[in-house]
Amino acid sequence: MIGNLPLAIIPPEAEALRAEVREFLREALPDLPPDRRARSWMGFDADFSRRLAARGWVGLTLRKEYGGAALGPFARYVIVEELLAAGAPVSAHWIGDRQSGPLIQRFGNEAQRQFHLPRISRGESFFCIGMSEPNTGSDLASVTTRAVRDGDGWRLNGRKIWTTNAHHSHYMIALVRSSGVPADRHKGLSQFIVDLSLPGVKVTPIRDLAGDAHFNEVVFEEVRLPADALVGEEGAGWAQVTAELAYERSGPERVLSSAVLLDTWIDWLRTEGPRTPASEALLGRLLAHLATLRAMSIAVTSRLVAGESPITEAALVKDLGTEFEQLIPTAIADALGAEPDRVPPDGLLRTLAYSQAMAPSYSLRGGTREILRGMIARGMGLR
Amino acid sequence: MDDLLANSAGELFTRACPPEVARAIRHGGSAAALWDAIEESGFLDALVPEAAGGAGLRPIDTLPVLLAAGRFAAPVPVGETMLVRAAFAAARQAAPEGPVALAQPVAADAAWRARAAWARQSRRVLVPRGEAALLLPRPALPGTDYVNDTAATMTWEQPEPEAALEGGTDWLVAGAWAELCRMAGAMDRILEDTIRYAGERVQFGRPIAGFQAVQQQLSVLTEEVFAGRMAAQLASLPSAGEASLDPLRVAAGKARIGEAAIRVAAIAHGVLGAMGITEEVPLHLMTEQLHRGRLAFGSEAYWHGVLGRACLDGPAVTSLGFVQERLAPAEA
Ligand SMILES: Cc1cc2nc3c(=O)[nH]c(=O)nc-3n(C[C@H](O)[C@H](O)[C@H](O)COP(=O)(O)OP(=O)(O)OC[C@H]3O[C@@H](n4cnc5c(N)ncnc54)[C@H](O)[C@@H]3O)c2cc1C
Repeated sequence: MIGNLPLAIIPPEAEALRAEVREFLREALPDLPPDRRARSWMGFDADFSRRLAARGWVGLTLRKEYGGAALGPFARYVIVEELLAAGAPVSAHWIGDRQSGPLIQRFGNEAQRQFHLPRISRGESFFCIGMSEPNTGSDLASVTTRAVRDGDGWRLNGRKIWTTNAHHSHYMIALVRSSGVPADRHKGLSQFIVDLSLPGVKVTPIRDLAGDAHFNEVVFEEVRLPADALVGEEGAGWAQVTAELAYERSGPERVLSSAVLLDTWIDWLRTEGPRTPASEALLGRLLAHLATLRAMSIAVTSRLVAGESPITEAALVKDLGTEFEQLIPTAIADALGAEPDRVPPDGLLRTLAYSQAMAPSYSLRGGTREILRGMIARGMGLR
Repeated sequence: MDDLLANSAGELFTRACPPEVARAIRHGGSAAALWDAIEESGFLDALVPEAAGGAGLRPIDTLPVLLAAGRFAAPVPVGETMLVRAAFAAARQAAPEGPVALAQPVAADAAWRARAAWARQSRRVLVPRGEAALLLPRPALPGTDYVNDTAATMTWEQPEPEAALEGGTDWLVAGAWAELCRMAGAMDRILEDTIRYAGERVQFGRPIAGFQAVQQQLSVLTEEVFAGRMAAQLASLPSAGEASLDPLRVAAGKARIGEAAIRVAAIAHGVLGAMGITEEVPLHLMTEQLHRGRLAFGSEAYWHGVLGRACLDGPAVTSLGFVQERLAPAEA
């Protein structure tokens, strides 16, 4: 059974970055209406990512020798938290900064690090993640996309889906089968860095209900990969992916997806919105949740800093966090509807409509609610 | 320090307050032996400054003791008495002896009626009334009433205060803190007991913990208990640069734990089948603390309002800014 999560604080040197980030955002954040800012880490703006990179804030945890900022998890926490709270369009560099860069730094060889990491840190090279497939979602070990040895390189065939930003990205880190058969499950999987400009790669954007195209279908047909496309060890893909996912479950991005909506509503209440006891109480409820969740998320980060691997605790924060993110639009809709004779500002209504419509995805991406609860049950010794 | 205190508090209540003791007191038995054991431990003076003969601890330091009281459903006002003694010390008055129940604050012109948890086990009640808090002898209570005994209503025909405290302490905040800590402790115990039971109880040829539907429920239970414990830790921190409890942190903590309590009680009773409502199985002693705790010293609805108004009336910061500046720990 997992134990207590003791209170932790963001160390002062990391906290000190907050004012700098706010200052930068005041000046650099494009003037976007709230329903655009509500895209949160789905908002794409390559220019903004490059400006952030020029400020030194892309490749946050990558080493200096590779052009990174060499910051620790807490510094990253503060920067990401401020970016998300402001609704900055971070999606262009998001995956490279958060997952692909650290993965290459950890498992890649020296040549791969020297090639990819400086480009990621300069905001020039964007990455996407190719895990899910049409018949592979929660059961990730069932991937059927295949890399077969071909001369000194590899030949890739298969199909990925849900691939966020593939249409804007230069590379995909794909989890594929490199030996054996699907029944071998975790054995025989590998990760490849796939250059998406190679012949045989076809990227088709999938429109979402808001008219945006974030995710894609990516088809590989006889794609010739060089030998150095393999990242980490052949056959070690499962272990690498597990390590990668553990890091992405408990950060501010699992708490703040509806923050722009919440703040847009608060702004209205502060100016001319109806300050009824019910709306005051709802705000208090949301703040009580946010305070507790954030403290839990920071406590998990301090475990990561201490070199532990708090997988169960991270799953727990993600499940509670996404539930909170989903509560916000539902509850604010009720609050707005409680005063039928008041007309909320258009921006607030548009932000609500967007967040409400996209909220179901919060508890699917990065591991579904049921899968996370299964992990918690395992952590508690129930399975 | 934390562990040391947690261990000795755990040891104390394991010895002095096993379920049969908690049950007997709940049924009208004497709490004297339990109280003497607690008194002997010195915990009751934990919040009293060292200069006044106490341990000089901060609320956050004493959290392990209150969690332990909740874990064992100790039917005596441990946190309340600690707070009362600290307030008397601050006012340079001699603290009353024995357990002191804490009544919910009432208006200065209200009737002399009050409800207080664990009143039957206490010789005295501190009744916050208007600006002052008056120490009154506990009036006689009729019969025994298992289900309502944990929060008895008292009436004083001709109140004769033994002592009075003027200002200084926000007793609604103080009482809310004592309750929420107890609730967090009770939830810890509920989690352990429920997980153990699910591993032991066999239906359809296997432990019910093996069913995915049960596992998912227990995961939610775990989440809420962890959230509750975190909320209790936050609520125990003083405002920046101060020693006393922070009303907004207590507001957030009491409200979050109140919400957790609803889910925790429902899931635990569900997993235990109907066992928890029998006199024999102590689960109801734990969930009773959750239900009483929610009701006492302001429920979610009350504290949510306090928190929401503080945010709207304060500087125009974002929700994150408010949480980070007003509710996050400044030091661990
Ligand atoms: C916005 C968004 C962006 C995404 N971006 C990417 C990306 O960039 N790259 C990428 O690879 N993937 C991406 N995904 C895909 C995401 O990882 C998958 O949606 C997720 O893993 C779930 O897979 P699925 O959609 O196939 O659902 P399924 O696995 O088919 O699940 C359907 C339902 O069945 C439940 N279920 C499944 N198995 C079990 C079980 N064993 N027990 C109980 N219940 C179960 C699930 O919880 C869910 O409710 C993205 C998804 C979203 C929503």
